[in-house]
Amino acid sequence: MKREHGTIRNYVIGFVLSLVFTLIPYFLAVNHLLIGLVLFITILAFALVQAGIQLLFFLHLGRERNPRWQSGFLMVTAGGLFVVTVGTSWILYHLHTNMAPTAEALQLAQDEGIAQIGDKKTGACDETYTVHTVTIKQNIANPSHIDARLCDEIVFTNDDNTSRDIAFGAPNKPVPYGGVNDLPLAKGQSQMLILNQTGTQSFHDHLNDEATGDFAVTP
Amino acid sequence: MAEALTPHQAHEEAANERATFGFWVYLMTDLLMFSILFAAYSVLHGNTLGGASPRQLFSQPVALTETLILLTSSFTNGIGMYRAREGKKNQMLVWFGITFLLGLSFLGLEIREFTKFFHEGHTLTSSGFLSSFFVLVGTHGLHITSGLLWMGTTLGFVMARGLTPGLVRKLSLLSLFWHFLDIVWIFIFTIVYLQALV
Repeated sequence: MKREHGTIRNYVIGFVLSLVFTLIPYFLAVNHLLIGLVLFITILAFALVQAGIQLLFFLHLGRERNPRWQSGFLMVTAGGLFVVTVGTSWILYHLHTNMAPTAEALQLAQDEGIAQIGDKKTGACDETYTVHTVTIKQNIANPSHIDARLCDEIVFTNDDNTSRDIAFGAPNKPVPYGGVNDLPLAKGQSQMLILNQTGTQSFHDHLNDEATGDFAVTP
Repeated sequence: MAEALTPHQAHEEAANERATFGFWVYLMTDLLMFSILFAAYSVLHGNTLGGASPRQLFSQPVALTETLILLTSSFTNGIGMYRAREGKKNQMLVWFGITFLLGLSFLGLEIREFTKFFHEGHTLTSSGFLSSFFVLVGTHGLHITSGLLWMGTTLGFVMARGLTPGLVRKLSLLSLFWHFLDIVWIFIFTIVYLQALV
């Protein structure tokens, strides 16, 4: 048996070590012995060491004849891998932290009592006027259309035996309305929406893509 | 270590090394593709659009079972490959047979998990988190599927023709592929299933 192919003993050692390096991070995570960033770094370290173990004992890396093209190419790939994974996480983490999404901007405007952002009328309603109701029964929203004034409110009620999640915009492309992303409705539950943004807005149940309707808000 | 090789053995040896390195290049590029899917998952796993989060969705005991099955199959594959190099056809068939069955049960568990998610309304289009999850784990599952097809046909050839040098070479590449998939799965287990508890 040639040296570069390993022995049964090698496979057994690799297998036992891999088992140990699988079970330790599992128990650390499942029993919450470590939490947060410390846990993440620990389980990632265990994964990297286990990958090293399998490369050595199962793939017999480093046992090939010179020149060691396989090991060399693995190193180059590891460099590319590092750039792609760490680089992506780094860039997008900063992008995410430094750019406020529309929903948050509108929420901020509402909290700060700002009346308008860009061409969107928004801002805090000091008091609400008329209360409209939309009841969802047998997968149908009733009424399916509401004409309202700015700072009116709509109470959505879910009379069906299933959970709903009222979202706004097209079913495949939901948009936030006035800083609200969605209104989760357990069965029998009601939720209020303050109409603090003008224009016509469609809504639907995002969990089942039904119970669609719209409301038009005029100043 | 080096015994004198006949010209024929030297020729076989060179062919083995070429094939191994060529396949290694494929594995490394495949690894780069997986790294991109991992990067996408790392970025998107918090974007649940108000739907289920990784912590609510995943069952760690199931993931551990899948991990142990795949790890054991990687081990039995190694033993089978050792027997193949010794020319012990029957023992090799037994070990590779076990590997095949373990691979099949891994795939079964994964399909069961996916169908459960689909029935609960968690699909590819539910959120950024679920899109990146299904693409990452599904791509690994497709690799396992093609590995099983490859293993099945190669074992069929071994049964019909015996352990010819060409088939032993194919088996050695298949083993590289199978060990490689186990290494990728370690990271899926860690980054997808264990990270959900972070």
